Amino acid sequence: MFELSTDVGNLKELREGDFSAYDAIYLGDFSCPEYPNNFSSHADLLEAGLQHVHARGQKAYLRLYAVPGNDDLAWVGDVIDTALQLPFDALEVHNLGVLRMLRERSCTAPIHLGVFGNLYTHETAKVLKDFGVTRVYPNPELSLDEVRYIAEHADVEVLVPVHGKIPLVISETCFILEHSEDGAEGACGDGSCSYQCTQDHWLKRGRGDGSRADWSLKDTGRMTLSGKDLCMVEHGGRLADMGLKHFYVHNKGEAPGYAAAVGRIYRDALTRAFAGEAAPDFAPALDTLAGLAREGLCNGYYFEGAGQRYIGRN
Amino acid sequence: MVMMMAPGGTLEMAKTVLDEGADAVYVGVVGWSRRGAQDELNDDEIRHTIDYALARGKEVRVVVNTLPSSTELPMFVERVERYAGWGAQGFMISDLGAMRLVKERLPHVNVHTSVGCGITNYEDVRFLRELGADYVVLPYRLSVEEIRQIKGAGKVGIEVFLFKTPSGGKICPGKCNMSSYFSFRRWLDTEGKDHFFGSASRGGDCLRVCQTEWNFNVDDIDYRMPMTIKTNPALWLEELPDYLAAGVDCLKVPGRDRSAVLVRDIVRVYRRAVDAILETDRPDLSAFASELETLRGRWMTERNRRDNRLLRQAIDESARVSAEAPAVTQ
Repeated sequence: MFELSTDVGNLKELREGDFSAYDAIYLGDFSCPEYPNNFSSHADLLEAGLQHVHARGQKAYLRLYAVPGNDDLAWVGDVIDTALQLPFDALEVHNLGVLRMLRERSCTAPIHLGVFGNLYTHETAKVLKDFGVTRVYPNPELSLDEVRYIAEHADVEVLVPVHGKIPLVISETCFILEHSEDGAEGACGDGSCSYQCTQDHWLKRGRGDGSRADWSLKDTGRMTLSGKDLCMVEHGGRLADMGLKHFYVHNKGEAPGYAAAVGRIYRDALTRAFAGEAAPDFAPALDTLAGLAREGLCNGYYFEGAGQRYIGRN
Repeated sequence: MVMMMAPGGTLEMAKTVLDEGADAVYVGVVGWSRRGAQDELNDDEIRHTIDYALARGKEVRVVVNTLPSSTELPMFVERVERYAGWGAQGFMISDLGAMRLVKERLPHVNVHTSVGCGITNYEDVRFLRELGADYVVLPYRLSVEEIRQIKGAGKVGIEVFLFKTPSGGKICPGKCNMSSYFSFRRWLDTEGKDHFFGSASRGGDCLRVCQTEWNFNVDDIDYRMPMTIKTNPALWLEELPDYLAAGVDCLKVPGRDRSAVLVRDIVRVYRRAVDAILETDRPDLSAFASELETLRGRWMTERNRRDNRLLRQAIDESARVSAEAPAVTQ
């Protein structure tokens, strides 16, 4: 009927979290190879993660590093070589060079294009299909109508994020370490990271009068996210009517328990929407979701406005 | 022979840079390039630029590097065919699908993959070459060694900007949507062209939200340590001989949104510097150092003026949207 997926960075989080609301798990943090025991950069942990997910009847997709430089290609290749020996349900790429590496290795597993793949048009989706891509994550700037157009005209699966922070920019080095007030212990890229990203880092636009900042972003070190949480819980019926079937909750950078709470709400809302039930009262769900979103909720760009705007169902 | 390409943010600028020694000029089409309309040319101006360049044995590259809507692609192809028919020899493009459409219809034109493609490694370059790229525009932050590795990866023209940022940091352009997150409006013009205020990738201005004063809040504690989110690029010269030795085929003078006078002076300096490098194995670039330092200062002054203007637009638009937001989102 539909697929609901989320992301998990490492084995510890996978084992300790409740991801039972999801049909599929994207394993790994595509932004930071140094994230502790990141599936995306630890070939030796792939089999354990895959088994854990498959044992629960879920699909396992492996995320590959999004922005490899020349010097990263060798270790990314090692991760790919290991992954291709395992029954992953798909591999996710964000980088055209990595996509080419998969083709050079005669990859037969489905390939998903990730959020930093810069997918804006159905013609680009067609190009990528020729390289084995079966699912695309359109750039967050696209409206729902544009997303639907791609799904209908390129004959590919389209992943539609329905909740969580929006990835806005990715970095080759750690912004948190580079701007640590006390002087960072460890450095980015040399294996001595002090993992300051385990603390919640928000970027706030300063105001001279000391009042509440009017702009906020969340920073995870190598990726900057929207301050607000994308929320489409009121629009499940519309998504179903548009023929969209693959939905995603962004979990990277969130506290333990976030994915479980959000997943339960969306599992229920989407199940009802796809069964054609009348829209329920969303107030309780919105209360819960707003409580998990420190900076509030938004609809991203789906309704052709600024990314941090929110429009209710009515 | 390395090609020096310079910007034509206005018709006056386009003519000036050709007169000052640029081998080619690049011009953006209104609504189709990664700049606001004030730094783009309409069709009459583009045709005039092409005629002016061809009469002097020079070339024109047309910048159509927005990431368009799917429904805009027929209009995109029609425009590219029109400009190629007028004599434009190449196009800067970001969207892979658009690139393939152009190469299918116009195999003789040069396709430059835009800096918006966000290249990070030589496998990216191989991918783009196989798709039909004749030139790849590299990001501002690569080292000479990285460029050498990329050049060695295959036969494709290497194009670099004559300004750069330190290695690392946020990947911009090519992987950033911060501007449109805060301020974004879409509208269709009378021809059906999509316009996206606030999104550089989609043909509006980047509103420079990374350049306002940001502070960290860590685990609910505010830290007053104002910073910008991204480092601005600066004009460079010292490594130019090494870049050329590494196999760079095209040097791109930045500045479509700068004054024609400043761009003219930048082209003058770089023309002489490139010629000096090409004439001898041991070029002495020290004569250009003080000139370049002055140009850097003028560049920064004009950039700050532009950033303040754009940031003001972002703040005003964001405030307008926030005022309309329902309570549940706060």
